Amino acid sequence: MDYNQTFAKEVYEKVDSGDEIKVCMQCGVCGATCPLRGEMKYGPRQIWSLIRAGRRDEVLNNPDIMLCTSCYTCQVRCPRGVPIMEVMHGLAHYALAQGIVPRAETAKFGKAFWEGIYDTGRVDEAVVPIKYCLQDGLVAGLKKSLGMMDIGLALMKAKRMKPKMFIPPNIFIPGVHKIKGVKQLQRMLDKAAAIDAAKEA
Amino acid sequence: MDYFLYYGCSLEGGGVHYMISTEAVAKALGINFHEIEDWNCCGASIAYIGGNEMQSIVLNARNLALAEAQGGYDIVAPCSSCYIMLNKVNRELQAHPKLMAQVNEILAEGGLKYSGQIRVRHILDLLYHDVGVEKIKAAVKKPLTGVKVAAYYGCQTTRPFGEYDSCENPHTQDDILAALGAEVVEFGHRVKCCGSGIFLTEIDKCAYLVKDIIESAAAGGAQIISTACPMCQMNLEIYQQRVNAITGANLNMPVVFVTQLMALAFGGDKDGAAALNRLVVPSGPALQAVGA
Repeated sequence: MDYNQTFAKEVYEKVDSGDEIKVCMQCGVCGATCPLRGEMKYGPRQIWSLIRAGRRDEVLNNPDIMLCTSCYTCQVRCPRGVPIMEVMHGLAHYALAQGIVPRAETAKFGKAFWEGIYDTGRVDEAVVPIKYCLQDGLVAGLKKSLGMMDIGLALMKAKRMKPKMFIPPNIFIPGVHKIKGVKQLQRMLDKAAAIDAAKEA
Repeated sequence: MDYFLYYGCSLEGGGVHYMISTEAVAKALGINFHEIEDWNCCGASIAYIGGNEMQSIVLNARNLALAEAQGGYDIVAPCSSCYIMLNKVNRELQAHPKLMAQVNEILAEGGLKYSGQIRVRHILDLLYHDVGVEKIKAAVKKPLTGVKVAAYYGCQTTRPFGEYDSCENPHTQDDILAALGAEVVEFGHRVKCCGSGIFLTEIDKCAYLVKDIIESAAAGGAQIISTACPMCQMNLEIYQQRVNAITGANLNMPVVFVTQLMALAFGGDKDGAAALNRLVVPSGPALQAVGA
């Protein structure tokens, strides 16, 4: 395998926690402990190897980089102390920032989740699914939310969700709770975004 | 005993039975919880999709700064994800003065400042180390005799830091449940992952994780699973029929919060303090031995 350091350098400099993979010794404990390794083409060890080999497109388009459940098992067991989960999140975030979507549904859900945080300061578990579904458009979104209706109804019956789930569009939903300091929070998040955008550019 | 209870978004929604039972348990044990006024979401484990690393840090630094300004008590998070996010950022800030200075410049947008004085704790840490098993035992009015329970930890309750319990072989929840008089079963999947924040969007893959955990608990003899994480409780409980449809399993296992069982053992009402009426899979025969 030819080694081309261009992409590795890009990862070390621009991906959150990316430089941490330098100490990986390719032992494979990460993949062996991953709960979803059986669903992946490559585990973390092989992805690091592809990075070192300069296979940029193969890494950033790989759906495996966005299948992390954030369980920290690999990170705890890595004998070299690589924060594997953080690197995996960093790679997925970096791919998304380049306009690449390694996993469409998780990307849409994550976007809805983040928008909830940014717009109100907290996440409303009844609103996020609506925002998630409506990214498919109104008709497809309604169909998708109908497909989730059994779960929504079960939660409503158990008084664990207020009946907002099936009332699109979400902007008309009453009672969405905003924290008092939401404007200040947004200013903070904007400032933080500018710092990381400069790094990723 | 004064603490901040960091509710987190789950405890206002799908994990409301965690909140109800936690407050009841606190009352019974003389724990005085304060709310961090105007707290915001921690970002959870999927914040990286929409936000970047610095934004994640700022979200949690704001809560830490608010806690410091409002009395400086330890922050206790019942949600494992909230606990990890707050704790991770706190440790980063405490260890890196340059990052702290940079974050404080950002917090200044909201007139806030953090100096690193807050301690972040998981609720199991508080219950086991600050309250202690003996005091919990003394508060029991209705022992959970005959209740066969699996203490499920999942991921972020102890990983990655292992600060108050072992990452690989935790015992705090087991010991608390035993103090309630329950029969705590052994099972292999106690620290395996449930799928966490990607469960819903990758259900075809994560369904097998839930199947294996519940079947492992059942094989150990458990009639009910106890957790200390709202994501675990939700993923293990509300999708069981879907998991059955995907995997061909035949799951019907009640899944509760450890605090619900505590509230019950402390003499609380099953549908009041213990909030058992908030379950999607009813506790059924699992708690019949104690009349719930």
